Amino acid sequence: MRQVFNINSVEKELLLNPGDTLLQTLRDNGYTEVKCGCSEGECGACLVLLEDMPVNSCQVFALSVKDKKITTLKGIGTIYHPHKIQKAFVEAGADQCGFCTPGMVIASYALLKKNPKPTKQEINEALDGNLCRCTGYVKIVEAVEKAATEIASKNV
Amino acid sequence: MMSHDLQWYYPEKISEALKLIKKEGIILHAGGTRILKTEARNLKGLVDISHLRLNHIRKEGKNIIIGAGCTLSDVINYCKKTNSFAGLCMALAEAASTPLRNRITVGGSLKDFPVWSSLYSPLIALNAKLELAGIKEIYSVEDYVKKNIIKTKHIIKQIIIKDDTDVICIVRRFNIVRFEYPIFNLAIVFKVKNKIIMDSRIVITGVKGRFHRFKLSEKALNGNALTEEVIAKSNEYFTPKFHTDYKYSPEYREHVAKVYFNDIVNELKEVMK
Repeated sequence: MRQVFNINSVEKELLLNPGDTLLQTLRDNGYTEVKCGCSEGECGACLVLLEDMPVNSCQVFALSVKDKKITTLKGIGTIYHPHKIQKAFVEAGADQCGFCTPGMVIASYALLKKNPKPTKQEINEALDGNLCRCTGYVKIVEAVEKAATEIASKNV
Repeated sequence: MMSHDLQWYYPEKISEALKLIKKEGIILHAGGTRILKTEARNLKGLVDISHLRLNHIRKEGKNIIIGAGCTLSDVINYCKKTNSFAGLCMALAEAASTPLRNRITVGGSLKDFPVWSSLYSPLIALNAKLELAGIKEIYSVEDYVKKNIIKTKHIIKQIIIKDDTDVICIVRRFNIVRFEYPIFNLAIVFKVKNKIIMDSRIVITGVKGRFHRFKLSEKALNGNALTEEVIAKSNEYFTPKFHTDYKYSPEYREHVAKVYFNDIVNELKEVMK
């Protein structure tokens, strides 16, 4: 079947089966920036924003969010126009293999939008649904702190 | 793998949704997380509840009303904003992860008593009530399970919790790894006046018979100050019975539960100082 979705502020008609998850639907239609990790809702590699809230797209039926605004990593920043959070991840060396990075950036983006000056504890809590198996979390938390400082300095 | 013939319904009235779920193979869809984990194979249809306007949280008189479509995050945010129900807030904040809590709904956490739900013990301890569509009566969460209403075809509309500022709710969740489903959830609600326990409700889930309330333990506490003797007496009656499991023996779990029980009572003692 075909269904129109609002993805990264663009109305797009996607091909899907009624029982497909949002993750399957996005990846099958070319949104490969949404990574498929565990498919169990535990690793956070597949995070997208649903109306500005991070969710595991592997745990969401696509047809249950057909009326909602979906944002993938490319809706936040691209390789040519990276977001400050993405820049901070690179500068802090928080992207060793990079597989978890899209999910980490999405979770960080949602956090900083809601809370521009998070404490370390708040960053840890916001990233509690994201697993990293090579970089480790120290540099990732540093990257979020760096991004928060960058964004705050720009807003002054 | 889900059926490719799966039918989606988006009713705008609860009565329409109720009619639909009475048909074989059609169930409610709220957040969808449990369906994806457990029921995917034999489904014929999903009734999405997002247009039923069940995602409200509001104060009504002395009660807090939580719509069944609210996510765990909605409830946590409300509790933090209003500085209320700290125990409930803590129990929900420990469940799953941030992105999952943005999806898991209150109704989905109550329907069929899922093993991962951290909602039952605090709600029973807080003597919360459930308003259901398809059944006229308002049931306490305790009776909803005990009287097997949980097995009937109905829709949970909202949860009603008395907003009592004298009440202290403390919750402990036992699991070894953060992502593990809870082995048990222990919630104790105390009503304290002048350092005397006026009332208490002690509830544990993850035990035989889904949950257990310890009325003798409660009786030992009620009307007394928290002396060592009173605590010991109450703990003596606190004897949760667990299933045999490949992971931990029932005796070990009972031991941990008793440690947590003392831990909660000691936390209350600190609060009362």
